[in-house]
Amino acid sequence: MPGDSNEARLAETLAQCTAELLAELGVQFERLTGVRQPPPTGEIIAAFGGFGNDELWGSFTLLGPSKVFARLHPLPPTMPQRDLTDWACELVNQSVGRFHNRLLAYGVKLAPGVPQSALAEELRLASSLRPSRIPISFAIDGMVLEGWLELEIAPSFRLAESPLDEEAAALKEGSMVLF
Amino acid sequence: MSKKSILIVDDSLTVRQQVSVTLKSAGYQTVEACDGQQGVDALRGHAEIAMVLCDLRMPCMNGLEFLDTIRGDAAGPPVPVVMLTTDGSPDLIARAKRAGAKGWIVKPFQTELLLAAVRRIAGEPG
Repeated sequence: MPGDSNEARLAETLAQCTAELLAELGVQFERLTGVRQPPPTGEIIAAFGGFGNDELWGSFTLLGPSKVFARLHPLPPTMPQRDLTDWACELVNQSVGRFHNRLLAYGVKLAPGVPQSALAEELRLASSLRPSRIPISFAIDGMVLEGWLELEIAPSFRLAESPLDEEAAALKEGSMVLF
Repeated sequence: MSKKSILIVDDSLTVRQQVSVTLKSAGYQTVEACDGQQGVDALRGHAEIAMVLCDLRMPCMNGLEFLDTIRGDAAGPPVPVVMLTTDGSPDLIARAKRAGAKGWIVKPFQTELLLAAVRRIAGEPG
């Protein structure tokens, strides 16, 4: 990863964060690269969350058939549409949260927003307003969970080649500290 | 004797459900609120609440504002609060500690760790 562009390294970091989350949810998945999948059909959920600071800002979107979010849901949904759109937001929240945590050790502080979601019969992402959109997608049980990272990076931004400050590193996911 | 109640403040319904199922399986009762303001209202209306698990980023009132508000409200010792959030920032953890939080858990939570924190801070379910 060192030596790659800021954009590629940030995208890879977010992809790793999302893959870690999927692994912890106990599903078998495969990272998809390159080729755009056919748009999903049927009931579709999209969830999106923004983040940013003075030099780096953007958003992460997860989009897929409601069945893929049901497959990832940790509990039996009681009211599927309400529960699954909420869960889609939490998946974005936890992916962006890990991304934010990883970047702290590189001296990058992001301010993540509260994710939002949409449910539709047909839903696909069209052209981006931002300079770059990077696919971060996964195959899960024959379904596709599309992820899209949109980034805008100021010319002054440089991602350090290695962590700058171990003390700045975040408390790891799943861990706890009591005072 | 009635079971101890734990207030869960999180804008994610799924997280509230996950935490509630975990706590109920260990014998606790739960009360839920979907943002900091609802959490404050729940505390004012439920004197039996023994502890709060609170998210950080929520609409209306975030977790740090919630901490500040209940500290200002409390006539006696405030109800102990443990933050439960995706954010592991050392500076935010320090800020929460200064605001009176009793702990910080980074999501996704591990069931045994969560229950250990609740037992230590709120005591056995009763």
